[in-house]
Amino acid sequence: MLTQLDLLQTEGLAALSSIIDEAGLESFRVAYLGKKGSVTTIAAGMRDVPPDLKPAVGAKLNEVRTTLTVSIEEKLLGLQSAKDAESVTGIDVTLPGRPSTSGALHPLTRIRDRAIQTLRRMGFALADGPEIETEWHCFDALNTPADHPARNEKDTFYLPDGRLLRTHTSSVQVRTMESVKSLPVRIIAPGAAYRRDEIDATHLSVFNQLECLYVDRDVSLADLKGTLEYFFQEMLGAQTQVRFRPHFFPFTEPSFEIDVKLEAKGQEARWIEIAGCGMVDPAVFQAISQQRGDALFNPDEVTGFAFGMGIDRLAMILHSITDIRHLIENDVRFLGQF
Amino acid sequence: MKTSLSWLKTHLDLSGTTVDKMRNLLTFAGIEVEGIEVLGVDSDKIVVAQILESVPHPKADRLSVCQVDDGSGTPRQIVCGAKNYKVGDKIPLALPGASLPGGIEIKEGKLRDVESNGMMCSGRELGIGDDHGGLLILDPSLPVGKLFRDVVQPDVIFDLEITPNRSDLLSHAGLARELAALTGNALIKTTASATTKITKAAANQVLLSAPESCPLYTVRTIKNVRVAPSPEWLQSRLQSVGLRPINNIVDITNFVLMEMGQPLHAFDAEKLQSGIVVRHAMADETIIALDEATYALTTDDLVIADTTQALAIAGVMGGSTSGVTDTTTTILLESAYFTPSHVRRTARRLILSSDSSYRFERGVDPQQVLNASELATKLILEIAGGEAADEVIVAGTAPVLVQDVEFDEVRARKLIGNPDLSSAEMHGVLSSLGLKKISSSDDKSLWHIPSHRLDLQRSVDLVEEIARVIGLERIPSRTTGVFTPSQSTDRAYDFAMNLRHAMVHRGWFEAQTLRLISTAQLSHVLGQRVTIEKAIALKNPLSEDHTVLRPSIVPGLIATAALNIRQGLQKLCFFEIGRVFLSIPNGGSREEERIAFLLSGPAINSSWHQKESPVMDVFHLRGILESLPGMAGQTLEITPKPLEDWLLSAEVKRGSKTLGWIAQVAPARAREINARHPIYVAELTLNALQQGAQGLAKFTELQRFPSITRDVALEVPTDLPSSKIAAFFTAQKEPLLTDAVVFDVYSDPTGQKLSSDKKSVAWSLTYRASDRTLETNEVEVVHQRVLKALVGSLPATIR
Repeated sequence: MLTQLDLLQTEGLAALSSIIDEAGLESFRVAYLGKKGSVTTIAAGMRDVPPDLKPAVGAKLNEVRTTLTVSIEEKLLGLQSAKDAESVTGIDVTLPGRPSTSGALHPLTRIRDRAIQTLRRMGFALADGPEIETEWHCFDALNTPADHPARNEKDTFYLPDGRLLRTHTSSVQVRTMESVKSLPVRIIAPGAAYRRDEIDATHLSVFNQLECLYVDRDVSLADLKGTLEYFFQEMLGAQTQVRFRPHFFPFTEPSFEIDVKLEAKGQEARWIEIAGCGMVDPAVFQAISQQRGDALFNPDEVTGFAFGMGIDRLAMILHSITDIRHLIENDVRFLGQF
Repeated sequence: MKTSLSWLKTHLDLSGTTVDKMRNLLTFAGIEVEGIEVLGVDSDKIVVAQILESVPHPKADRLSVCQVDDGSGTPRQIVCGAKNYKVGDKIPLALPGASLPGGIEIKEGKLRDVESNGMMCSGRELGIGDDHGGLLILDPSLPVGKLFRDVVQPDVIFDLEITPNRSDLLSHAGLARELAALTGNALIKTTASATTKITKAAANQVLLSAPESCPLYTVRTIKNVRVAPSPEWLQSRLQSVGLRPINNIVDITNFVLMEMGQPLHAFDAEKLQSGIVVRHAMADETIIALDEATYALTTDDLVIADTTQALAIAGVMGGSTSGVTDTTTTILLESAYFTPSHVRRTARRLILSSDSSYRFERGVDPQQVLNASELATKLILEIAGGEAADEVIVAGTAPVLVQDVEFDEVRARKLIGNPDLSSAEMHGVLSSLGLKKISSSDDKSLWHIPSHRLDLQRSVDLVEEIARVIGLERIPSRTTGVFTPSQSTDRAYDFAMNLRHAMVHRGWFEAQTLRLISTAQLSHVLGQRVTIEKAIALKNPLSEDHTVLRPSIVPGLIATAALNIRQGLQKLCFFEIGRVFLSIPNGGSREEERIAFLLSGPAINSSWHQKESPVMDVFHLRGILESLPGMAGQTLEITPKPLEDWLLSAEVKRGSKTLGWIAQVAPARAREINARHPIYVAELTLNALQQGAQGLAKFTELQRFPSITRDVALEVPTDLPSSKIAAFFTAQKEPLLTDAVVFDVYSDPTGQKLSSDKKSVAWSLTYRASDRTLETNEVEVVHQRVLKALVGSLPATIR
């Protein structure tokens, strides 16, 4: 019986080596180790083995079963890995990928959102107002004289009913101060503004601004300076230099224009005008107080700062966009770049 | 305003002030430097030289070797590339050691092996003119060896933008005064007060009939002048600031304008019929101005007239008939004060701006009127000869436009945010600017304002001066935080951003189109929808392309599609979030934020894996709408609303709430923009959509027990909307029926397998109990009950 087992093992291993697929391997397993397989049949003959030979035959039987089982396992692993390897034969991974669904936000949205997130970290909340405005909200309340050049039909779009398309988002300052119940006022006003300009590489008749206002009892130029330095360093990089040039706006006193120093590779660093700012002119608080009929914005007691900038211009500077018209044409070759 | 550095130097010692330093000084005084032009070279190494000999270069065809006389007595050898000279010409020669405006340093050296000891220069190389055609050929009478800077005066021209509040800086004297205050350098000359005797005008000399627009008018007669070209110095002064010399009289008035900021006008006295009348124009009155154009005036305009006709548009421009010409011998020299608002109105209305109107509009110093007249008279007598009348005729009085201002130091420190500013320093700044302290006590002081500082009216105006002069560098940066509650605007913004991100994740591109569109574009794109969404027209559009505020974003997206189709794009997925403008019935307007969608073309851009892709249809767009933020857990209802000019036009609702509309663009329109596939659009109101996204979602327990599904194919009339069947299933009060989904729609236009007026709609119904596993027969009972009710209430048969 021992010889029989030896022979079985030798035969079995020889047969195994010629098996070429998993189905063949399974038949082999059944033929040897299945319920009616050769090994099983021999094992059934154990009861006829004389007791003194039983330990030796039992051991041999186990050895043959283990050897075949292990060999089948090994063979299976070999067959599977060969099949795995075959499954990718001929695939050229250097071919381009399948087109993925990729859209994009408009660059103006991204820049505006970055500005808003930065200002929200500083505790500003959003405010909004109509784009069709009254002269009072757009000009009078902002200390702009009745015969100011901006107020004529050459520069500003009017509606037949006398209202106009706001020339700046500063009218939102007025709207907000008119309606708030208490101080402080600390707002971000992003939005469209309109100027009667021919559209060309640097001008749009409808453009995007972002404006901030902070009014309380002790707001100073030091707050304005600290806020804007932080803002532009967050927007343009921690090393960004910011400078304030005295300027004039009817609704702020003192007023400044803000330049940031742009460092471009291969170019001399240059100062770029990027925003306007100032301390709210007391005349604005006076106008608001008259309109409200209370003393919340008493010009002798409250102070505030305001600053504003063109988002289109900011996007053009940050992304090196050379023609502002790209921003309104929405060519996907443009939109897909940001 | 163009400003000459050498002109400024006649007022103020600016030696040692480099161009860069001047730029900084001006910039931080609040005067924007828009351009700097360097004229000529201030160098003692550039001389007048004469070409003695010129022979071809032995090794270079394009070069010549010249011997030139530089005045030293020894000829100098120069290699030269220019061709425009002849031997004997005088030219500017840069000697070794000279530096030219472009940064070129002249050295001795060799050009193609031939020694060259200097450079003969073109005009452009010396910063005079743009002519690069060759050497600058000089006047042959100039002596050899003369320094070139004595031939062409070097100068630097600053193009300055003066802010509208600082009219006092619109002159060289004014700028010098400001620079003196900022640098601490003393002024070389100050304008002396006029000493000429004045006589009150008799009514037949000057009649002021509109004192509110012209409170002060002065005139001086000068006889026997000789009108001729101005002397060289005067011509070059005017040219340096961009003015064209005309004749000595006109040039002097322009010189005084640029020197003092006071516009003047000279009339030819012999062309006047009588004395001067300052009056409003008559209705229908016209005038031919110095620019030879005819202007129609209104009664709001002010004119200077004689008894017969208007001679000048007051403060704006003289008339052509009364101006000074070569034959003029007697002039009337006008110096007056016109009020800014009046000049502004007239200049705007006539679209006529002059150096005079520019200054009057911003406000001139009334106290300068007589001083300017006196300076001009003095110059006329010097340059054009003649005899001036002993007296200036004066009508009206100079208005006082400034008054004393109280300065509050405590508030100044608070507003500036620097508690360490001393009163001595602040007072010092004010004094340096020419303000005079009248009195002071504790933290307050009273200041006399000089007459030219029309902008200093309130304490805060003085604070501005201090902040401007000390600069923001001296002010600490404060970064204190304030907690602010979010507003509804914040929530709307966050919702819109979520929506944008959701669309971009679906592979869509965000567009931003102009809010001003044309009426034609609007009616062409929107067709019958225009009557639904009434547009608001501008009173003064700039062009036909931008005449109305958009009542819908869709026209902009169609234009976006057209542009991208032209670029060869096939798959079009664009959305835009933005404002639209709607007129409301009682007049007035409503502004509303919307999101619009445009979809067309293959679902997948073709590639090597997949050349063909299914073309997107209306259900692709509907699928997008159904999955938007604000739609979670809710059903989108689409109600067909046929509309001319559109296909598949329908209203979009969430429950009973109208969100907007969806439609297919009429194929005829789509063809116009060369679209190869149907275009679908939708537009929803953001606020309505956002209402579906309010509050936090509540968790629904997950089902633990298996469901059983039963499929049923219904044969229904082709025109029965699927939504009717869906509504039927929703309305069933069967607690075990938890879901009903369409899984197949079939029709057979040939009528062979199914009558052509019928369609087969197959539904999959899900039955489930939350507390147990359902038995098959239990489901069967409910299912049969549902089907029976269905056949009973809808025109359907079960196949």
